[in-house]
Amino acid sequence: MPPSNMGFTSTEPRSTARITRRSSMESARQWYYSRGPLGTFALAFAIVSGVVTHSYHLFDYPLYETDEGIYLERAWAIIREGRLSPQTYVYDHAPGGWMLIAAWVFLLPGHFEAFGNPVNSARVLMVILHAGSTFFLFEIARKFSRGGLLAPTIACFFFNFSWLAVYYQRMALLDNIMVFWVLLSIYLLLREEVRLFAGLWSGLAFGVAMVTKENAVFFAPTIYYLLTRRAKNDGVDSTSRELTLFFWLFAAATPVLAYCLYATLNGEFFPPGMSFSLKHTSVSLLYEAWYQLHRNQATLFNRRSSTPFLYTAWLPKDPFLLAAGTVAMVICILAGWRQRKADPSLLVAGTLAFEIAFYLARGSVILDFYVIPLIPMYALCIALVADRAFKSLPERTSRVLAPAVCTAVAAFLLLPPGGYLIKHGSTGQLQAADPYHVPQTFMQNAQISWIRQHIPANSRIISDDDIWVALHDVNPVFPYDESHWNAASDPQVRKIFGGGRWYDIDYIVLSNQMKNAMILNNTGNQEQWMLNALDYHSTEVWSITRGSVSLQIYKVNN
Amino acid sequence: MMKDVLYASILLVSLFVSAQSVWTLYMTLYGWDQPPAEASAPEYFREPRLSFTALLPARHEEDVIRGTILRLAESNYPPDLVQVLVVCSADDQGTIDEAEAGIELLRRQGRENVELVVFSDGPVNKPHGLNVALARATNDVVVIFDAEDDMHPDIFDVVNTVMEEEQVKVVQAGVQLMNFEATWYSALNALEYFFWFRSRLHYYAHVGAIPLGGNTIFFDRALIARIGGWDETILTEDAEIGLQLSVEGERVRIVYDHRYVTREEVPPTLKQFIKQRTRWNQGFIQVLHKGTWRKLKTRKQRRLAFATLVFPQGQAILGVYFAFSLFTMVDLKTPVLVAELSYIPVLIVLANFLATVVGLYSFTRAHGLKTTPSAVAGLAIAWFPYQLVLAYASLRAVSRQVRGHLDWEKTAHVGGHRGKTADRSLGRDEVSENAA
Repeated sequence: MPPSNMGFTSTEPRSTARITRRSSMESARQWYYSRGPLGTFALAFAIVSGVVTHSYHLFDYPLYETDEGIYLERAWAIIREGRLSPQTYVYDHAPGGWMLIAAWVFLLPGHFEAFGNPVNSARVLMVILHAGSTFFLFEIARKFSRGGLLAPTIACFFFNFSWLAVYYQRMALLDNIMVFWVLLSIYLLLREEVRLFAGLWSGLAFGVAMVTKENAVFFAPTIYYLLTRRAKNDGVDSTSRELTLFFWLFAAATPVLAYCLYATLNGEFFPPGMSFSLKHTSVSLLYEAWYQLHRNQATLFNRRSSTPFLYTAWLPKDPFLLAAGTVAMVICILAGWRQRKADPSLLVAGTLAFEIAFYLARGSVILDFYVIPLIPMYALCIALVADRAFKSLPERTSRVLAPAVCTAVAAFLLLPPGGYLIKHGSTGQLQAADPYHVPQTFMQNAQISWIRQHIPANSRIISDDDIWVALHDVNPVFPYDESHWNAASDPQVRKIFGGGRWYDIDYIVLSNQMKNAMILNNTGNQEQWMLNALDYHSTEVWSITRGSVSLQIYKVNN
Repeated sequence: MMKDVLYASILLVSLFVSAQSVWTLYMTLYGWDQPPAEASAPEYFREPRLSFTALLPARHEEDVIRGTILRLAESNYPPDLVQVLVVCSADDQGTIDEAEAGIELLRRQGRENVELVVFSDGPVNKPHGLNVALARATNDVVVIFDAEDDMHPDIFDVVNTVMEEEQVKVVQAGVQLMNFEATWYSALNALEYFFWFRSRLHYYAHVGAIPLGGNTIFFDRALIARIGGWDETILTEDAEIGLQLSVEGERVRIVYDHRYVTREEVPPTLKQFIKQRTRWNQGFIQVLHKGTWRKLKTRKQRRLAFATLVFPQGQAILGVYFAFSLFTMVDLKTPVLVAELSYIPVLIVLANFLATVVGLYSFTRAHGLKTTPSAVAGLAIAWFPYQLVLAYASLRAVSRQVRGHLDWEKTAHVGGHRGKTADRSLGRDEVSENAA
């Protein structure tokens, strides 16, 4: 009697199932490359060199940035006051970054003062995160170059040694934390086999990246594309694929939903009266998003704009990375598009770089450190293009040429022509590059010391955020010290100064370029009462100048 | 002060519920995170070598028993290697008559490998019936099917191949409720089975502390005889024997392949569904109190077994908490952080629901069925009432156990997973006409 299936339907023939499993295993192997002893050594060298370049002279250079101070004071508010900001939290940034800083500082013995100036505590965290980011970048480049060591070594070289990288990556900025999470998210998608939970963790890492710094969302299309490619190849059945995709999205959305929920529970999700008029500010998540979308500034490429960072801050530090990275990005996109079906690596690297380059170039408000996410992506593109170029040569030629060319380029960049490590000083002498040589933060520490010694603790002080925690966390605390940014925008803070009267200010503590920032921020006259105090009613009582950096303290004659 | 205590309580319960929900979600998805080969059925069959004794306990199963006997007897495995024992208690004349009619029909077709085993001693429950039948079993492997099961005709080939190739003595094959559109709770009930056999059981097998299913479970007969058969005092003898085997260190191979699942029906009424769920929950409570799980070797095994067995009580608490949370959502103003944290379980419930929706499409696709967005909407609407029903069944189980009601509440079967065509093809009409 022939076998009967008794009404059972078999939607998947046996042979098909067998083939699916085999191809799945083959596909997984495509992404598995043993690192080997040499690879482990290269990885260890990359991490150690990254830690050394980023930690040496870390507390001295560069100057503590206003934004470092802002995130640190918000971390301070979490630990000391149980809220997201010591001032009114206006949803200008999601709090993931300073929550991490708060957690880190909380664990440190001595908390904010564990390494001297409070900003130093957060900078140490940046070095630790940089070590993690280096590991992820190394592994991403290694897998994108099919297990080779040339690409990860080149990528990590730029990531660790470029002056542009070292300068900004040392700072306690949300962008550095965001880069860590984004690279982790990508790294998790490149594991040998991307199954459900790897996808879920990757999504969660990306979600945390988004609530650390919102511009992470620009990476979403490429990371999701990579996910679909991995899930398509590795998922044994459509359900695995669907679950992997769904749960990546769900995990990525979870931190964002939690953030929205926070705003909702505070009654601050929608603006009051659902008014999105840009003429009136209001504390609301949606309003802030609307406001940010409508902020415009001159483009990056306009030398006469108020923020010509491309020319004043980025190109002077590393023209090679920016130029080579841009060319490599274009090559990655063009070549990657052609070979995307066989190998999506180039396309992924190219579009990752393009997405953040587009974000920077699109003409909205940017700050100089917004270049941070571009650095690893450019480094990756350069590394992959170099790797492909050498692989296209005959093997014998490549074996000789690759180390020779790479060594020559590295020497060029590390030595005075590139200036990554050594450069010519003002009188032509050889000296270490600025990140390892120039002391800057001592001036801010001297400023803080002078305030402690000469200004009564109950004085009403207008200052900048870079010294805020130092004046609020160590006795004697200065409870009436606020930054000019907050005094200009936050009515609660302005109450300290009589609602905005120059004669209710006792001292003005100027950080480097602070007056310029006050003028730029005075488009609605919100800083005018402070500028009046500074220009017409105050006397300089302390100052320090080294090179282009100048700090002052003024006593207001009220 | 009172407020602080209240907030702390809300936080604690939220964290407990979250942890429990994450664990549930983890096990629900575990199967899709594993290499496919670990759960697969073989792609080719070995020559039949092992012989099987199929135990078919039945009580008040007049509507379905004959069809099941015929299906079982007509499997694609050599009849001389399959012994079928239909087990009935002497007071269940209706089932006995139907079983005899089925056996007679097979005899006329020349099949002599089906026997009826009738017992008249107590207790009248499934484990006792299984023990009675076990004494009459003669073949290498013992397998249990329920009276309403539609087992796959190749299932003996599948298990013969797995046991021979992997040298395992216990194989749990998949079971699936099929009539997912029958009632408002059918889809959720069917998907519970789907996730249980497609995913969760793999995790239990991986850890080595597994409460087995009640049917389509294959044991080496010598092994089951050595541990003394099934515990007749426990309502979930399957879970208990699974843990006993885990204590013995016996590896359990899970075979889940939608092509070979045993098909069953969703309990036809809500009352029947609650009875079935109450019995399972009460059985878990009994297994918990019996304490076999304490003899498991590793802490991880004991922890998993304990968490699984205590889950019914946890679910009862969740039911109470659900009512409380409705009150707090409407009436209680808490600090933002407390409120934010108390929403975590909601998020995880959302994740569970998401998995269920994907599962619905996967289940229907695998079995050549169709689903629609309205079915997804139905899932969403039924979700919370279903959780409440589960919580009620848990409370009822606790109550029955406390009050000493230890009798077997039987679930009625009407063959809802079988079409009339299938019944005709299996001899019901033929026998009826002959009888007429």
